[in-house]
Order: sequence, then structure tokens, then C-alpha cells
Amino acid sequence: MAELILKDVCKIYYKNKKPVEAVKSLNLKCRDGEFVALLGPSGCGKSTTLRMIAGLEDITSGDIYIGDRRINDLHPKDRNIGLAFENYALYPPLTVYDNIGFNLRAKKIPEKQIKEEIHKIAELLDITDLLDMKPAALSGGQKQRVNIARALIRRPEVLLLDEPLSHLDGKVRQKMRTEIKHLHTEINCTTIIVTHDQLEAMALADRIAVINQGVLQQFGTPLEVFNNPVNEFVAGFIGEPPMNIFNVVAIMENGILHFKTENSLIKFVVPEKYIRFVKEGEKYRFGIRPTDITVCREDDSYTVKTKVSVFENLGEECRIHIRLDNDNILSVVSSEIFHFKYGDEIKLKFNPERIHIFDCKTGQRIEKALQMT
Amino acid sequence: MKSNKVVSLLKDLGLLLYAMFALFPLVWLVIISFKHDREMFNTTFIFSPTLDNYRVLFSSGEFIGYFVDNLIVSVGAIILSIVVGVPAAYALARFDFKGKESIAFTFLSFRFAPEILVVLPIFLIYQKIGLYDTYFGLIWIFQVVSLPLMIWILRGYFEDISVEMEHAARLDGYSWWQVFIKMIIPLIKPGLVASSLLSFIFVWNNFTFSLLLAGQKVTTTTVAMLKYVSSDTVHYGQMAAAVLISSLPIIILALAIQKHLVRGLSMGAVKG
Amino acid sequence: MANVRVEGIKKSFKKETVLSDISFEVKDKEFFVIFGPAGAGKTTLLNIIAGIYVPDEGHVYLNNKCIDHVEPEDRNVAMVFEDYALYPHLTVFDNIASPLRSPRYKQPEEVVKREVTRVAEILKIDWLLDRNPSELSNGQRQRVGLGRALIRSPEVFLMDEPITHLDAKLRHQMRAELKDMQRNLDTTTIYVTHDYLEALSLADRIAVINKGKIEQIGTPEEIYYKPANEFVASAFGEPEINIFNAEVVKENTELKLSIFGRKKIKIPKNIQKLVAEKEISIVRVGIRPKDIKYGFIQKNENCIIGKVYSFEPLGAKAILTVQVHNQLVQLLVPSDSEIQLNQEIFIEIDMEKTIFFDSVGNNLLASYSNVERKGVAWQN
Repeated sequence: MAELILKDVCKIYYKNKKPVEAVKSLNLKCRDGEFVALLGPSGCGKSTTLRMIAGLEDITSGDIYIGDRRINDLHPKDRNIGLAFENYALYPPLTVYDNIGFNLRAKKIPEKQIKEEIHKIAELLDITDLLDMKPAALSGGQKQRVNIARALIRRPEVLLLDEPLSHLDGKVRQKMRTEIKHLHTEINCTTIIVTHDQLEAMALADRIAVINQGVLQQFGTPLEVFNNPVNEFVAGFIGEPPMNIFNVVAIMENGILHFKTENSLIKFVVPEKYIRFVKEGEKYRFGIRPTDITVCREDDSYTVKTKVSVFENLGEECRIHIRLDNDNILSVVSSEIFHFKYGDEIKLKFNPERIHIFDCKTGQRIEKALQMT
Repeated sequence: MKSNKVVSLLKDLGLLLYAMFALFPLVWLVIISFKHDREMFNTTFIFSPTLDNYRVLFSSGEFIGYFVDNLIVSVGAIILSIVVGVPAAYALARFDFKGKESIAFTFLSFRFAPEILVVLPIFLIYQKIGLYDTYFGLIWIFQVVSLPLMIWILRGYFEDISVEMEHAARLDGYSWWQVFIKMIIPLIKPGLVASSLLSFIFVWNNFTFSLLLAGQKVTTTTVAMLKYVSSDTVHYGQMAAAVLISSLPIIILALAIQKHLVRGLSMGAVKG
Repeated sequence: MANVRVEGIKKSFKKETVLSDISFEVKDKEFFVIFGPAGAGKTTLLNIIAGIYVPDEGHVYLNNKCIDHVEPEDRNVAMVFEDYALYPHLTVFDNIASPLRSPRYKQPEEVVKREVTRVAEILKIDWLLDRNPSELSNGQRQRVGLGRALIRSPEVFLMDEPITHLDAKLRHQMRAELKDMQRNLDTTTIYVTHDYLEALSLADRIAVINKGKIEQIGTPEEIYYKPANEFVASAFGEPEINIFNAEVVKENTELKLSIFGRKKIKIPKNIQKLVAEKEISIVRVGIRPKDIKYGFIQKNENCIIGKVYSFEPLGAKAILTVQVHNQLVQLLVPSDSEIQLNQEIFIEIDMEKTIFFDSVGNNLLASYSNVERKGVAWQN
């Protein structure tokens, strides 16, 4: 019974006497045991949200509930929340054992029980060997484990992770990510992670809340936000390499609606599902993921003939780049390994099912933009 | 809204009180510099103002001499500190050599001992080697006051400049010396200005060394003040006028480059 | 027109050896990448070539002439620095113009102006020329740093992790831009990076260095498909290559492998021969995550049973981690795969695509020796 519910949560703070809306009327409902990521660029309000849940920051308006308990006015220690800080925040003079046991001791729990609890949690996080060490002797990954252990020891109803991987590099980071994901299935505790790294959010979370400029853009499973982004921001923010997004114009040719780029480098038939939304002569933002374009040999209505500008063989995959104009490059990612070079002529097939069309002005998905008006 | 006004009114009042408290000695000084000696003790704010004190100060020509002396030794000391301090600070910031921190600390330690403690042996030495009562003697001792400050502030500045930037300039085709003049000096300028000014103030106001290591041929304004204390009376009016005039350069300097001073010092402080 | 050769370079700082005996040759117009983890000595090596550091031992040759005693400003090399190393007190224009105003490469002011404008246009920073470096984003600073190097035509470009500080998306874009630019420049380039994607993408040849020693020098294909040892194999690829111990067992006349307690996994003939010759009893098997298949039924005797440990979708692809006999094996699978955590799963290792190492981690033989096994779909 540990749902976390945010109802119309707002945060306004004053900078040079001017109000700044850090979080604008945020509504979120995290199910019991769910792993939710708050994802957004730096300064989007995701950390503020986390700090409000933890009780480190006042809520300007709105309510936060854990289960049916309203926690707005509770002291952080009474909220039954575990927070793993971004920079670990371990107490340097204490051993790992004492670091983890610190807040149990503060609660005056018998020493024997503390010992049991610590060993249980240490085993879970694979840090039993480190219990006698001081934080200074630990590597970044180990520190993060201890940090999470400390957050988990009090059996919180909600676990908050603030950028847990941002201080780790490369391989350690990827291993730790796998560990955290596995840990969540073991403890099954409602978990909120704050991150600016979309890969991290995709890999870890059951659902992702994409936030930009204090406003919730989309809340959905990783595949939902990846496959059906509601607007251009989400489309561009999620996915690496990023989605190809460029301007197109809808034109009529032989009685059939076509999309084409200004310099006519790319031109093909408007996919079936968009025909009722697209108006002739209008400009649109056209998006397609690099993985949804394939190199092919035969022609059909969705193929485009073009020339390779840059070719990269990256081992696991290869990337083909086509220069559209001065500012835009179209990227294609293929897990089949080709061998192209500059100037090679190739045919690209755009998967019509996976094309995204956004409104030029609002950036909204075209279906949605039309519904609104 | 109403309470806001009251609060700001109280704030202003507090500031006003503090300003009066802080500025009172200065105001008093200005007042007595315009008083006759005979009005000195029996009037407070109401008196017949006179420029006599200033006239006496400038008519004899002596005071101008002291002023120039002070200028020579202060500027001399600062120039010497810059010439020695800039390369020293650079070396301490960039190069890794044995005893680096000890040397840096030694420079700072010059400022630890009270001046009065070291002035006696220095007095004896100066008399022996003929530096007593000379411009160079004073410059030499003042440089001990200004150098540590200069080195410690500038070292922070040099450490702030990335080594890569110097390397980049070398590869761009500049020799080390050209890099130093064209790229590095402009970057430490705020620190150089601030530390020079601060040193200048310290040196200009120095009393102990000027009194005991010079006084006849070379006299600084601080020491010259004593000349207004004669055996039978103290010429407070003239003394006040002299004090005002000798503080003028510093007040003008400080006001003119106040912005650089604060920025220059705080930037160094963040790093250090 | 320049080739660079370093010979027997050694360098230590305060008794700590940073580089020990580094030798290689960079051919004219080659794009040579020095790849290694942080602290491997890459930047030190680049600085030695630039003339900023003096090596303890060894020589640097430019066009077969020893340049050990040539000052950095006279070597005619241009460098792009990791932290950009822009002149903070100069505008973007003056920063880029700096080489052409230096005593060594001096040009008349109208040439400077023309050249700066030209380079700025190529790098798309022509609208930033009046700004100071502090007003720029990291991506823009990096372009300015690049511009300062591109403005003159040096014998050699040295680039020290020029795109490391950019975020992943910008890196993807800048890598393509760099590669596009490289085609037009046609100048010998030595490029330092710790990002294996940059190395594979940009390099004509890669030198992998670790702890001051060269592990392998080769083309990207050689490095990826025929890594000299386990270090090189795990440095290239994410998630990294799975490596585990396997026992050699004999069945009749055939040698087979026992992996995770599952016996009798067939291995290619040439490996059998080699194992027999060297009388090896334990081999280390390396297999890249994308070369492992999975299924929910045991299709054949090569399938190994395991349990799903975690499943991390990363867009179109996902990393599937399977626990087999207390070891974790990572697979690269499509992200729309229907996979439940903790469910039983069978993995199948393609022995044709594995890399075999001996017990100390050196590549047993150049596997993937023939072209078909590179997995090339077709070639234009």
C-alpha cells in the first residue's frame, strides 16, 4: 500500500523578487511497487519535485499523498521515504556499517536487530565485504551501493534516487544500472528516480514522466514515449541517436499528397494514417527515428534515393548520415553492417508506420493538435 | 504592504545611524582642518572657517616635499613588488619543485611578526650598510610589506588560468615570452590592479618603518604629522589638514577603481 | 604532406611511469586514433608529439626528421584541446585569428579576416564572432577550438578528446560533422579519445593503449573483430563483450567445450586444432551481446538454461541480462521482446562468432579471419 500521488503540485520560488514557476501543476500517480523516472533536461524542475516529495523543499500549492496519507506538512523523517543523494553524502568518519546503521541507531532500535538488518541489506546490495571500510576507500560504484543501502535500511514506502548514476563512468555506470534494475525487482518498493539521461530512464523505469520547463509533457512506459511521443520535445529528447526531425511541405502530385523537403531531396507519399490530418501547402515538422529507416534495394512509395555523406561502422551497428542541408543531417542506424563510403548512392525506405508528424507552431503531434482546435 | 514600508523605513534609519557613527571621525577631521587653533577647544560646529591651516601647509613647501617622498617610496616599493612578485607567483603556481609550499609560506610569514619586533635589528643593519634614511632603504623594507600580498593574490590568478591555454598559444606560434605578455598578463590584470592598490595603501600608511628607518632626509607624510606636535602646543588644525591631504590619493584611487578592487580580490579569494 | 613517427617513448611524472616504450608510425594523411581509458597516458603522448612535454627517452620524427629539440611553436602542428583552452579575454574572432597573428605564422590582416570568416562559416559559428568564450555553450566552444586549429594548414592535427564534453546527442552529430570535415581536410591527424564509438567511426587505424603500453594497433575492423587480448575486446562495444571460462573436454576424437556445466558444445575445427596443439585445458570464451540468441524452449543441445536477471529497453534495442550459473550474460535484443523478469530462458552461443582467449587473456588465434564472418550484409 504505497502509492505515491502528486495532485496539482506547484512550486514557485523567488529570484530577484520575481516569481519563478519551477513546477507547474504536476499530477502524477505512481502505483505500488512501480519504478517511475522523472526525466528532463537540467533545470526542468525534476529535482525540485523529488525534493518536495522528500520534504526538503516546501510545496507552494497542491498535495502529495503516500497511500492515503497526506504528507505535505510532515517532517522529512516522518514521511517514511528513503532518499539516495546524488553525491552519495556518506559520513566520512564512519565505516560503511555505521553509515548504513546510522538512522536505525537514531531511532534507538536494539543493536542486535540493527546488525541483522544491516547484514540483510548488505547481502542484497553485495557489499558485505565492505562493511568495515571507510567511505574514502570505496570506488564510485561501491559508494553508490552503500548510499542506496542506507536509503533502504529503514524500509521506506517510497525510495527516491537522485541521479544515482551521474557520477559513475562508462562501464561501471552500465553495470550499476543493471544492478539497480535487478534490485528493484527484488525489493519491489515504489521507486522514483530523477535523471537527465534518457537511456537511464528507459532502461530502469516502468513508466517515465518527461518534464520540461516545469510542465509534465508525457507520462508513459518507455516504449510508449519512444514510439508515440506526444510532441516534438519528447520526440527529440528520447532516443539516441536522436530522432531525425526536419521541415517538410505537403504538396499534391498526380492527385496524391506527398511530403517533401524544401530542396526536394526527400519526397514521398503521405502515409495512410496521416492523410486526413495533412493539408496541402502546409508546413510540418517531420520526425523519424534512425532505426526506422532501412537500406533497401527495391523501390516503393516510401523509398528515397540519396547519397551517403558520412558512413560509420561502430561494430554493433552502422550509421549512415545524409546531409539534407546546411543544418540538418539525416541519420540512419542499421544493425546489419554495410560498407559504404562518401558519395555512394543508396535507397532508403522510411517505415510509414513509424513516421511522426508534428505541428509546426505548437510542436504537438498532428493528431493531437487537430483534436485540440 | 504597509508593514513593508515600515520595515524599509527602519532599515534606512539603521543605515543612517551607522553611517553617522562610521563617518563621524572623518567629518570631525574635516571640521577641525578649517578651524583656527584658538577656536579649537571652545567651539564645536559653529565657528568662522578659515583656510589658514592649508595655507601654512603649502606656503612652507615642506609638506609637499614629504608628500613627494611618500609617493617615491610607495610607488617604488610597488614597482619592485610587481617585478619580483609576478614571476614568483607564476613559478609557484605553475612549476613543481621541491619546497614549493615552504617557500610560499615563508613569503607569507613576512607578515606574521609585528613590525616593531623586527625594526630594531633592521635599524642597526641599515646604519651599518648605509641604507638608513635613503629612498632605497625604505623601498626595500616596504617591499617586504607588499610582496607577500602580491604573491598570494596573483598565485590564485595564475592557477585559475588553464595550462592548456598556454600550450594552445605556444602551438599557435607564440614563444613563451609572447604568451606571457599577450595572453597571461591581460588575464591577471584585475588581480594585479587589486593587489597593487591594496599594497599601495598599506605602504602609504606605514608608520613604524618610516619613523625608525628614515626621518631626516626622507620623510613620509605619516611621520611628518609628528612635526605639528611642538613642545608647547599641538597644531591640530594643520595636522588635520595634512592628514586629509595625504589620504586624498588613496581615497581617490579607491573610489576610482572600487569595482576592480572588490572583484579582483574576491576572485583570487575564491580560488585561494 | 606529413608522417609522424614516435620511437621508444618513455615518460614518468614523479617516479610514476605514464608511458613505457611507445612506438608507432602515422602515415601521411592518415586519421590515427589513440584510444584508451582515463589515465592511460594518451594526453601525455599527444603533448609529447606537440612538444609541450619532453619525453624521458625516445624520439619524435616528423617527415623522418627528428624534432626532439624543436620548440612547440616551431613544429607546425595544430592542436584541439579537451577543455577547449580558448583565450578567455579575446573574442571568438580573435581566438580563431590568433595563429595567423602570431609571429611564427603571421599573415596580413585582410587575409586573417578572410580566413576567419571562411573557417567560421564551415563550422557554423560565423554569427558568434563578436562574443567572448564565456558566452558560448560547450558545443560552440569546441567549434571555436576546432576553428583555431583549422585556420592554418599545419603538417599535423592533434586532437585531444575534442567532443568528450558534449552530451550524447551532440556527440553523435559532431562525430558525423568531424568525419565529413576530415574528408575535405586531408591532413595527417592524431586523435585521442576514450570513446570507442569515436575510435571506430573516425579512425583509419587505432592504437589501443592501456597503462602506458600499446595493446594493439590496427584498423577498426581488426580491433573489433580480432582483438589482441581481453582488454581490447572489452574496451570496444557496449554492453561489453561477455567473457567466461570454458573447459576443454574430449569426446571421441573431437574436442568440445564445457561452458556453465553444459558439456559438449561444438567448436570450430581450427580452434580444435590449435587447442590440441597447445594442449590447453581451459579457454576463455568471448562473445559479443548481439551474437547470442535466446529462446524459451530448448531448441538444440547447445542451448544453455538461465534466468532473466534484468531487462533494460534503450529505445529500439534493449539489454537483456541473463543469470547463468551465478554469472551474468548480457544480450542485445529488440526492445519489443516480451520478456518477464525471473523467467527461465535459453541462450545459444554462436561458436562461429566467438573469440577465444587463452587463460591469461590473449587472443588464441585471429578468429574472424575470413571476410564472411565479419557479418557483412553486402558491399557496394
